[in-house]
Amino acid sequence: MGKEESPQAARRTTRASCAAASNGEVGRSTITPLHNPTVSDLAFGGEPLSSEDLRSSFPARRPQILELVHLLGPHSSPMLPLFVYGGASTGKTTVILQVFRHLNRPFVYASCRTCYSPRILFESILNQLLLHRKNEANGYSSAKRCEKPSDFVNFLREDVGKVVDSLKDHSGKRKSNKSRRWPKGDILYLIIDNLELVREWDKSSSLLPFLFNLYDILKLPNFALIFVSSSSPDTYYSSMGYIEPIPVFFPEYTEEDLRQLLIRNQANQKLYSCFLDIVLRPFSRVTRRLDELSTVFSSLFQKYCEPLSDTSLFPNDEMKRRLFSHFRPYISPALNEIFWGPSQCLSGIESGKVTRQRGSIRKHEDNEDFTEIGFHMSTAAKYLLISAFLASRNPATLDASLFDSTGGSDNRKRKRKASEKSMEQKETVEQESLMKGPGTFPLERLLAIFQCITSVIDVSIDEEEHGDGFSTDGGNSSWLMSNVLSQLSSLCDANFIAKGGSCPLEGSTRYRCTISEDFALKVARSIKFALPNYLCRR
Amino acid sequence: MAVQSHARDAQNLLRSRLCNPSFVFKALSGSPDSNYSKLKFILSSSVTEACNNSLLLLGPRGSGKTAVLELVLNDLLEEYPDMISVIRLNGLLHNDDNCAFKEISRQLCMEHHLLFSKMASFDDNSQFLIAMLRECGLAHKTIVFVLEEFDLFAQGKQRLLYSLLDAMQSITSQAAVIGISCRLDADQLLEKRVRSRFSHRKLLFLPPSTEIIERLLQHILLLPMDSTLPNDYATQFNTKLESVLADERFKEILKNYLSSSSTINHLLRFLFVAVSSIDVKSGYPSLDNFKTALSSFRRQPKQECIKDCSILELYILTCIRRLESKEQKSYNFNSVMKEYKSIHDQFQTSDDYARNVCLRAFERLLQRDLICFSDNRGQGQSVEFRPVKCLISHFELQEGIKAYRSCPIILTKLLDR
Repeated sequence: MGKEESPQAARRTTRASCAAASNGEVGRSTITPLHNPTVSDLAFGGEPLSSEDLRSSFPARRPQILELVHLLGPHSSPMLPLFVYGGASTGKTTVILQVFRHLNRPFVYASCRTCYSPRILFESILNQLLLHRKNEANGYSSAKRCEKPSDFVNFLREDVGKVVDSLKDHSGKRKSNKSRRWPKGDILYLIIDNLELVREWDKSSSLLPFLFNLYDILKLPNFALIFVSSSSPDTYYSSMGYIEPIPVFFPEYTEEDLRQLLIRNQANQKLYSCFLDIVLRPFSRVTRRLDELSTVFSSLFQKYCEPLSDTSLFPNDEMKRRLFSHFRPYISPALNEIFWGPSQCLSGIESGKVTRQRGSIRKHEDNEDFTEIGFHMSTAAKYLLISAFLASRNPATLDASLFDSTGGSDNRKRKRKASEKSMEQKETVEQESLMKGPGTFPLERLLAIFQCITSVIDVSIDEEEHGDGFSTDGGNSSWLMSNVLSQLSSLCDANFIAKGGSCPLEGSTRYRCTISEDFALKVARSIKFALPNYLCRR
Repeated sequence: MAVQSHARDAQNLLRSRLCNPSFVFKALSGSPDSNYSKLKFILSSSVTEACNNSLLLLGPRGSGKTAVLELVLNDLLEEYPDMISVIRLNGLLHNDDNCAFKEISRQLCMEHHLLFSKMASFDDNSQFLIAMLRECGLAHKTIVFVLEEFDLFAQGKQRLLYSLLDAMQSITSQAAVIGISCRLDADQLLEKRVRSRFSHRKLLFLPPSTEIIERLLQHILLLPMDSTLPNDYATQFNTKLESVLADERFKEILKNYLSSSSTINHLLRFLFVAVSSIDVKSGYPSLDNFKTALSSFRRQPKQECIKDCSILELYILTCIRRLESKEQKSYNFNSVMKEYKSIHDQFQTSDDYARNVCLRAFERLLQRDLICFSDNRGQGQSVEFRPVKCLISHFELQEGIKAYRSCPIILTKLLDR
């Protein structure tokens, strides 16, 4: 536990190893097919964890661990259902699983994220109870087919009874079986993780009360339930009541906790602490989630260490200052990149560096890397994307004035001085456009705009190439027909254009362009198209 | 060392008592006007005098309806062996008629060692039920149907209720139907044809009085003198506990807790946490155990959520509240962003972040359930454009921000204006 690089990495490995342990040690079984799963596989595999190890591996979670251990109580003592909640990445699952590893109790773990429907959830729980392993021999099928809650309750009663019997059997003659670690006690715990996702399932209105009442329905003394959820108990209230389980709250880490957690497992802790002095405060103002912070910091720390030849040195004051002055320009762009993955974050900084060498650091934009990445799109697709963007952004009534030289000639004359009322109207219109998002458009309009803008370009290209107006309408439209429709579908697949429902009056499918303005401008720049001229500004 | 192991044993004993409702409710079964005695009288008359009964047990969730019924059934099963068979149904599990009939047949087959066919149709199952009722009636055997979450059976066509209650009208059958519900108007949900066949007998389960609670506390928490625990430890444990129970502060804590949740199961839950937090090293209960239990139930999830937010998330929440106080009907990320920018332009705050960072913070707020989408339409639309609504009140946010450590002063100002 203590050897992993970061707490985040620890969490991942824990989940994986847990699955391996509770599913009957899949990895080992492929090598030794003789290994028969026994009830002992229901406990956490691997070495037991001493209470010191448990506490030292979760420095900021001491009160929660204590509370959990108290509530779980001595072995073989029954427990009322627990409800463990707290924000994402606060260590709920990891702490619980490690506590079970420490106590060496048998448990069944099912996460509603991987078991995404009632049937899969039920069957996965039953498979674990029956020590059933999906493999080639049984055609990767579950031990029992179980769709309805009523079947699940019947099966569960049966299977929990069997498991508990064998646990009791063994607790009688434990001394004879010292070679394998046998789980302690005869209570079977069922841990249901990510419960908040159940709220979005189809039958959530009947399934949630069922899960919350499961303990009372089963009436089994040797069965205990633990729910893990990232949202608080008050978000589960519905018309169907239940006795609320006992709540255990995992608060978000404070800045001090974060420092403790991040500094753990670093090779040069003093250097890292200097680094954290600079970055932790500004970054924790944006987010206090450990997973997001550790991703950003891992790449930033490399930047921080760049001027150092030997990273095992202890930094003195003068060196700290030097490092800081080297590092300072990276902080504020990184703050605005926190949303993105580490690789893009770095490339953004790289481009920032280039501009700084030119002496224009202030001009650095966050999305600079877009131009450098470049899109592998054909020119036609780019034009199509731009026309889709225009169709989404501009009202259909203005198309004539924008693309036809004769259509909107009297537009200027009608411009009057803005009165109070029209200003107000303008505001509400603006409000509406903020709310509504990009508008929808039929295919015909898209094609018309596309033809308009490509015809302008065609003329200019042709003039450059041939020097005479050789291009004809016929050639133009054939290009349109052969290419454009397939391009459109590929743009839809790439999610640049969304296919909406069909309009009930016209009966044709309507499209919607989902790209942002910055992005559209960038695409336009890459094909040297003057997009701003065509955008309607209210 | 000895005290520690005794303490562990004592804790174990108390915990298993708290998790065993029939132990808890046995204490209340003595008096003649208790629900236990009434229910037992009615059911034993069904068994001995072959009169068909139907009744409803009503009361808030956790008031011990099922537990008392189980006690009565267990006692009757002991008194009259082989004369009762119990069929248990739950509205959460069997609320469609087909499934309910199948479950009845399954349980009847189990009980009478018959072969149960999964393939049997609805018609087969209902005929089987009628036949079984007649057979059992001839053998003077009573079938007790327990319908938990009775109100859920009253949804839909109520075919199950109708056929059960209708079968009880015939002279050959000998059965009782007991509905358990936390809806006090459960009998009003019945259709006319069902209602006319129902006896309208109801037993109400009321919240316990102070005397009952005191009696329960003594009954549950005091250690028995004749168990495996050594006598001197048990005596000392009991004297310590008595002094805690007599303490005015303890009564205050208990009153405080029961004022919000007053049923017996809520009390058990409270005692469970208190018993679990008994320090094994010292080995004896103290007032602090009950204080921790109270504080673990007195939670304010929304305040905790606000405390968990980062400062940027608080900014966004404040913007949303400001939009709401401007009486804007609906808003989405874009309008929130506009407000955020205007705040920044006006006050030159140090927390000016790019749009995508704010969007990420906005998504985190969605995850925390502090805001949510106001409609389920437009699934395909991106997050920025979907209208949202705020799930916390102005007051809650104000309190949360006040309690927040190192919160910028500008936020409180912005919120007040």
